[in-house]
Amino acid sequence: MSSGPPPSLLESRLVTRVQGFLERLREEGLRAGVAAGVDLSRSLRALPLLDRNAFREACRATLPKSPSELAVVDRVFDEYFGSLDVPVPPPSEEGKVPHGRDRAGRAPSGPKGPTPDREEAEEELQGRYSPRAPPAVASRVPLASEKLRHYRAGARRFRRTVAALPGRRWRAHPVGSVDLRRTARASLRSAGEFVELARRNRAPRRADLVILWDVSGSMREHTPDLFGLVYALHRVVRRTRVFAFGHDIAEITPLLAGRSYERALPLLEDRLRSTGGGTRIAHCLSEFRRHHGSEVRRSSTLLVVSDGWDLGEPGELADQLRRLRGQAHRLVWVNPYAARTGFRPATAALRVAMPYVDLLASPEDFPTPHGPSGRFGGRIPGQRLRPVGSLIPRDVSGGSSP
Amino acid sequence: MTDPGPPFGESVDSVVAALSGQHYVTERGLATAVYLAMRLEKPLLIEGEPGCGKTEIAKALSAASGGELIRLQCYEGLDAATALYEWDYPRQLLTIRLHERDRTTAQLETEIYTERFLLRRPLLRALEGKGPVRPVLLIDELDRADEEFEGLLLEVLSDFQVTVPEIGTIRAATIPLVILTSNRTRELGDAIKRRCLYAYIGYPSPEKEVEILRQKVPELSPHFAQEIAGFVGRLRARDDLAKRPGVAETLDWTAALLALRESSLRPETVEETLGLLLKDAHDLEAYRKERVAELLAAP
Repeated sequence: MSSGPPPSLLESRLVTRVQGFLERLREEGLRAGVAAGVDLSRSLRALPLLDRNAFREACRATLPKSPSELAVVDRVFDEYFGSLDVPVPPPSEEGKVPHGRDRAGRAPSGPKGPTPDREEAEEELQGRYSPRAPPAVASRVPLASEKLRHYRAGARRFRRTVAALPGRRWRAHPVGSVDLRRTARASLRSAGEFVELARRNRAPRRADLVILWDVSGSMREHTPDLFGLVYALHRVVRRTRVFAFGHDIAEITPLLAGRSYERALPLLEDRLRSTGGGTRIAHCLSEFRRHHGSEVRRSSTLLVVSDGWDLGEPGELADQLRRLRGQAHRLVWVNPYAARTGFRPATAALRVAMPYVDLLASPEDFPTPHGPSGRFGGRIPGQRLRPVGSLIPRDVSGGSSP
Repeated sequence: MTDPGPPFGESVDSVVAALSGQHYVTERGLATAVYLAMRLEKPLLIEGEPGCGKTEIAKALSAASGGELIRLQCYEGLDAATALYEWDYPRQLLTIRLHERDRTTAQLETEIYTERFLLRRPLLRALEGKGPVRPVLLIDELDRADEEFEGLLLEVLSDFQVTVPEIGTIRAATIPLVILTSNRTRELGDAIKRRCLYAYIGYPSPEKEVEILRQKVPELSPHFAQEIAGFVGRLRARDDLAKRPGVAETLDWTAALLALRESSLRPETVEETLGLLLKDAHDLEAYRKERVAELLAAP
């Protein structure tokens, strides 16, 4: 690791320990490559080797690249090198900051609240992910490749027509303002004579998508199709983050990133467990806003995939949706029943959500863009999509399906 | 004569002391990351909540080291012409016009693509620093820039060089101290993160916030500082806020309270000045008199 003098016994042992530590971190999902290991080794040469805290800080500066990875480094450091402090409880789910901790995994700095009483504790325990619950992904049978292709094509249309915004980056275009740079360069080819003016205009902004996917029991029968859709959107829209929710919410983007559909499906099946306490959409949206709210920008399209069966308070849901809608570019609700004849948003959650939703769609709208219910076939003019009212009856008091 | 302390950048302690001298209260972890960034000559990526001192640390480091602060504020659509260099096209066009009769095209092309016509932007300026003191290059809010811009930064941040096709490669004689900040509005690319050391700045503890207030606003009484830090801490602990106040908001609020000649927190004044802490209309609407009183009454 160094071209200098031969390492001392202490350094040799330390290198072995550091390598073991890095391997352990990689097992925990940290993407610490060789470069990070080299950085750490170089850092240790610049710091007092026997100072445990300095060693720990060097690990924190060189190995993690995000707050969640920082929490992993802290936890594995204590496990691997032994903790001198009160042990840090492991995160409840991968990539999710435990309750009562900040993003760096540290305890809250503000004054501590009262200890939750038994009733609150029981309430908190209800409906947690159970390892014995059947997987939310109903079947390992993957979708036909043709259907996946259709989903992908639909996702591209969605990206182009629903999620895109005009950007600030310039591109060469026959129509637009004069591009001095290209005009000057072109004039050199004609001895400084301006034969024609090069022009440019704004390139569309890269789409930014946040998917909130309801994986509760009532959605189970639709899971294969919905996973196909979510996977296609994740592949097509480069900036996509996917969160699965039921009773609680957790990010599942890392399970999809860089994996084929066939490899991601069983991982998802292992990861997602149905909740025993039903869906709490408002609570999950509130948790989402608390931990990831700042990541929803004016350019973000928010896609909620849910049937709208909810155990929470409709008023609270309306409040959360209102806030999210105010932050995002668009709010799209995908309901597996939306394409059915006579569909009406009859559930309390859907009824309160409708005023904030720009587009109510069905998963079937994605693979069948030119079919009767295809809504992403052409460009949608203006900033606002066709109002939901034109897609569904304004009188939402009746109806049989959710 | 006072002890000047260890030379800046010689140890983690010297970084802590230098930052403290600039009224920047830092934790040892962040100081270690800064020290390592200087020793390893690697950029330091600082992420964290808005208003918690990410930009401020670059300013403090510049002031402490005496190096020039070169700031590149990122935004969507930022490109090489704004960040790196650009040719002075109007001057080039004028030169072409002036010499079109007495020069050949090849001569003209050679003449107009020289350093005389090069407009240096922040990244190039940071690489051209020649003095003994390293400049501090602050690439602020990188998450606001496009991913294509991150690609542009790769060569600059890993090799500290820039290739201008018409001139050649410009290498940094003095490696700048590079601080990148991000508010995590989007995930940065792996390639850029791999090239950087990393630090995260969260909200400070009430004790640390009191210390910050005392450093930044010396005329503030200890009791009032504790009162302010306690209130802001309780506010941040609330789950229902769309945007929690950062240290910058606390400092603004403190300045406002002092301007109003307040010496302790009163519900009426807090309610009237809450807009300096809460920057979201829904949050402001939710925190009216009763809830402010409730927060003030909490221990």
